[in-house]
Amino acid sequence: MTKNITRRLAIVAIAALLAACASGPKHSEIQSSIPAMKAGEGRLYVYRESSMMGAAIQPSVLVNGKVAGQSKPGGFFFVDLPPGSVEVSTSTEVEKKLSLTLDAGQTRYVRTVIGFGLLVGRVYPELVDNAAGAKAVAETSYIGAPLAKP
Amino acid sequence: MGRTRQALMLCLAAMLASGCASEVKRAPAELAAAQPEQGRRYVTTLAVEARPESGYPRSIRAGTEFVVVGRVAQGLVLKPTQTVLTIEGAHMHEAYAVHRDGQLVGFYLPVERAYAALPLPASMPLQEKNAP
Repeated sequence: MTKNITRRLAIVAIAALLAACASGPKHSEIQSSIPAMKAGEGRLYVYRESSMMGAAIQPSVLVNGKVAGQSKPGGFFFVDLPPGSVEVSTSTEVEKKLSLTLDAGQTRYVRTVIGFGLLVGRVYPELVDNAAGAKAVAETSYIGAPLAKP
Repeated sequence: MGRTRQALMLCLAAMLASGCASEVKRAPAELAAAQPEQGRRYVTTLAVEARPESGYPRSIRAGTEFVVVGRVAQGLVLKPTQTVLTIEGAHMHEAYAVHRDGQLVGFYLPVERAYAALPLPASMPLQEKNAP
């Protein structure tokens, strides 16, 4: 009896964790649909590596105070912005912010990572270099706004 | 004694809930052109270990390339060309290295237009990069 309940609970837990991971198309599948950057704008990619740790914690990601997407394990989105200062923030039990600069024509990468908190995990936005960011994004799934077909 | 312990626990919980880390201490700084160094490229010849006051150490690998983007009162401002540099307290900030007399003396925060000093400067030998 107890064994049966444990097994069922394990199945439910696995299903919940799987549902928590990003399930959109892989970067390679939508690469051709990603529009070219407009002149005079820069592009910011925001991603989270696939991990079961804190998978259920999926806060909104704000870029310059506006919701731009969600921090979801194995997911990425991008936002095009005018050049200048950029603030990326996430909130769980505390708010965590990252400030960075963005030039026209520049692409930058921000990774959101899970850290320990008092009651729930915290999500930190971190600036990463382009080589590491591009490699990680290539392994994640697109969770942004629907893209027009090429 | 019981009350003191309770108060301490509440303080600790409040600190944890507020995010633990203190804000990066910084002062406004004006970035000016650094003639004749502006635009010159340098490479670190040794790894650099910096310990900012906020408690999050930062390391810069040997061979990291920087470009001179200006000068603040505390030294030359060097922006990494292939990697990123950040400093962290309660929040994270993009940072450029501030270099003087062979040492990393602090960080320039381009968004905040501010300077964050290192409590102890770290050795940061540089070599000018001539070839592109």
